[in-house]
Amino acid sequence: MTSPSAAAVTGEPSAPAVELVGIGKRFGAVVANDGVDLVLRRGSVHAVMGENGAGKSTLMSMLFGLLKPDSGEIRVDGAPVQFDGPLDAIAAGLGMVHQHFRLFDSMTVADNVVYGAEPTKGGLIDRRAAAARVRELSERYGLETEPTAVVGSLSAGARQRVEILKALHRDARILILDEPTAVLTPSEVTSLFTVIRRAADAGTTVVLVTHKIHEVLAVSDEVTVLRDGRVTGRFATSEATSASLVHAMTGREIDEVRNPGTGTPGAVALEVEHVTVGDPRTPAVHDVSLAVHRGEIVGVAGVSGNGQHELVAAVLGTVQASSGRIRLLGEEVGSRSVRDRRAAGLAVIPEDRRGEGTAVTLSVAENVTLGHHRTAPIGASKGLRRGWMSIRAERARARELIADYDVRTSGEQQPIGALSGGNAQKVVIARELSHGAPVLIAEQPTQGVDVGAIESIHQRLLDYRAGGGAVLLVSHEISELLALADRILVMYSGRVVAEFTAAEATTARIGAAMAGAAEAAPAPDAAAAVAPAPTDTPAPEPETDRTP
Amino acid sequence: MTSTPTKPQPRARRLLATALRHPAVVPLGAVVLALLIGAVIIAAAGLDPLTAYAAVLEGSLDPRQLDYTFSVWGFICGMALAAAIPLRMGEFNLGGNGQMVLGGLTAAWVALNVPLPGILLVPLAVLAAAIVSGGFGALSAPLATRFGIPIIISTLLLSPIAVAVVSYLLRFQIGEAGSAVAQTPRLPDEGRMWALGDLSYSNTGLLVIIAMMVAFYVVDSRSAVGFELRVVGANRRFGAYGGVRVGRLAFGAMAAAGAAAGIVGAIIVMSSPYRLIDGALISPGYTFAGLAAALLAGGRPALIPVTAILFTILQVGGASMERSADVPRQLSDVLQGVVIVVLALRTVLDQRRTERSSA
Repeated sequence: MTSPSAAAVTGEPSAPAVELVGIGKRFGAVVANDGVDLVLRRGSVHAVMGENGAGKSTLMSMLFGLLKPDSGEIRVDGAPVQFDGPLDAIAAGLGMVHQHFRLFDSMTVADNVVYGAEPTKGGLIDRRAAAARVRELSERYGLETEPTAVVGSLSAGARQRVEILKALHRDARILILDEPTAVLTPSEVTSLFTVIRRAADAGTTVVLVTHKIHEVLAVSDEVTVLRDGRVTGRFATSEATSASLVHAMTGREIDEVRNPGTGTPGAVALEVEHVTVGDPRTPAVHDVSLAVHRGEIVGVAGVSGNGQHELVAAVLGTVQASSGRIRLLGEEVGSRSVRDRRAAGLAVIPEDRRGEGTAVTLSVAENVTLGHHRTAPIGASKGLRRGWMSIRAERARARELIADYDVRTSGEQQPIGALSGGNAQKVVIARELSHGAPVLIAEQPTQGVDVGAIESIHQRLLDYRAGGGAVLLVSHEISELLALADRILVMYSGRVVAEFTAAEATTARIGAAMAGAAEAAPAPDAAAAVAPAPTDTPAPEPETDRTP
Repeated sequence: MTSTPTKPQPRARRLLATALRHPAVVPLGAVVLALLIGAVIIAAAGLDPLTAYAAVLEGSLDPRQLDYTFSVWGFICGMALAAAIPLRMGEFNLGGNGQMVLGGLTAAWVALNVPLPGILLVPLAVLAAAIVSGGFGALSAPLATRFGIPIIISTLLLSPIAVAVVSYLLRFQIGEAGSAVAQTPRLPDEGRMWALGDLSYSNTGLLVIIAMMVAFYVVDSRSAVGFELRVVGANRRFGAYGGVRVGRLAFGAMAAAGAAAGIVGAIIVMSSPYRLIDGALISPGYTFAGLAAALLAGGRPALIPVTAILFTILQVGGASMERSADVPRQLSDVLQGVVIVVLALRTVLDQRRTERSSA
């Protein structure tokens, strides 16, 4: 996906910017961190790796003042610090880009970026200076954004760029990126790595929290691996290998799932014909047609925000297509309700797990029940028990799925919000797959999920196909599409701009199509080649933008 | 402050933090805070808070008063239902007054004009009130789904219209001729709620309200619709994605809420003094007390009877506090208000909590 950059630091190691010494943190009976030591050297990129629930996010939350450690010490520039909240951490020069966006949806990009450190003019916020600042930052770091756009209207990828800009605006000396690439496309990842490299070269200390090995190898200088809240490996990236990192993360080796190929696909199960979504002048989805057959996985590649999500929403029925036809198993469902479409044989694993795929305050059992609550064994579709639920059956079924999908939880009554991202995703997948629906739409099914879980999710999708299911797989990970899909469509600007069979598809060809089809991007890896190049000038002083 | 040991302190703090996270802390804290603020106000007026609060308790829990206290508890529970049913799906019904008054008017009209024996007339009047008020409440659902007017707004704004229309009808159309007060004639004996033994305030209406609360509890915890209400209340997008027809659900919830309020109105009218008097349904403030009880219970059906007790005590005891401690009864309204404000803060706390637990 990306070519490795000049990761290894040349010259002698610089002084530590941050030291975490013997950090411990418990949540009730769960030990999240246990005696963790971490040294971040100034101007280096330090990857913190681990599977879901390994304690990475907890550790970073303590570093950023969101949580207080139960034991241990945090030192910034050699001096012990105590953060009572993120504001203290920001004042100490830390910046954090969260995995879950913390933005004001109804405000503009510029307002979000400067929030808390606004350029002012005569006591009022200087909106023009703010917009100029955002433009300047986004150009300098290659983070494409529109300062006047309302954040709520942006795609996940674009929102994350706003988050990054926000930290950059505050001139953070220590930048924590929590799973920053989870919602980014390959080309966006490449430019993010350029940003990271430039920032590090300019003296910023970057912490990259991730579980993706190729990212660690591509961009970091040092790696610390966590497992079950303890440090299980420390490497200079130049000396690390995929195998050694996987071993430290999981304690075992991982075989990547490869598409075993299928026989001939069966009848058409999902048919989308000339579907347009949104205002016809600026449609999110523009005249898209596609068909998914039984026993087939069709991949949809594309940079986040190019209409994939809206297409899925239109097929599910949470958004109405403005024109076109959608057929499920031959039945026209374009004007039907979500419930009817699901009843007709549709299951969907949504992209936005917290916003759409779960209700964080409800229990695991309740989360795994929605959609199954009117059918046996929990409910009944006819007879006297119609409309009523058996709580006993609900719990029994939840326990069964928890065991079957290896969900790490204290029990089916635990709120799903308390689970790690990967475990919550397993709940979503268990719920949707257990419909046994002929058509499955999987949107970013492995986003924010650890290596071991990715493998099992991929295997589940392949099993689903083997069982005659039709799968539409929307993913920003080309490697995932190559591993699973029989055919790959590429969406750009709301249109399907390319289609490849599994045999034809390569990272390069898909990447080129994702970047805007034939006319754009001579080679998809051209940007990556630029990545390691040293930057010339450091960022201009932000004050130049702020009119007094 | 300068306590000595370093080791036990984080542990004690952790215990405290765990204790503070208990779901009962915020509601109880709200009540305690309200009582403290009330005490400060009373003390500032130069009176003794303890005497005043003692008067509240004595007045409401006096065995001779219990009959009356129970009837008020029933009305507050009924209006709490009107707020709690939509609250379960995250909607606020602020139109309880209008729904209740329309129910009262309908029941009065039926009782006065339909010539049936009591065994049929009483259920018919209650049912008619439920239908009219339910329809009125349900009006807010299509306004929200089709025109994007939030339910909290449309209920709030439609309510005074209904109150004004009923007031107009009482004054100029169906009111008792020759009466100085705008009121209907006395309902005939057939159109009155059946008495419970020799109690003078509590009657069969109280049993109807208790039955409604039981029904809400069962539907909430055991039915598919109740499950959908909770799911939508927890995350509306999740519900829509999962196939819940949110518009229909809102319609049903608002209809049920309106019906509950209408039944309360019908019961009040069909109880002593057996007539609909202009303003008499609204002035005791059952709607607001019920809303406060529903909020304090977080919409949970099992807690509503308990939280309603608190507001009943304030409501009933307020009058005797005025008499014996010379503290204006409006103080009960102040206390209710403080409880609601503190509970509004709870939303913020909850949000922080979920963010932290996911961090």
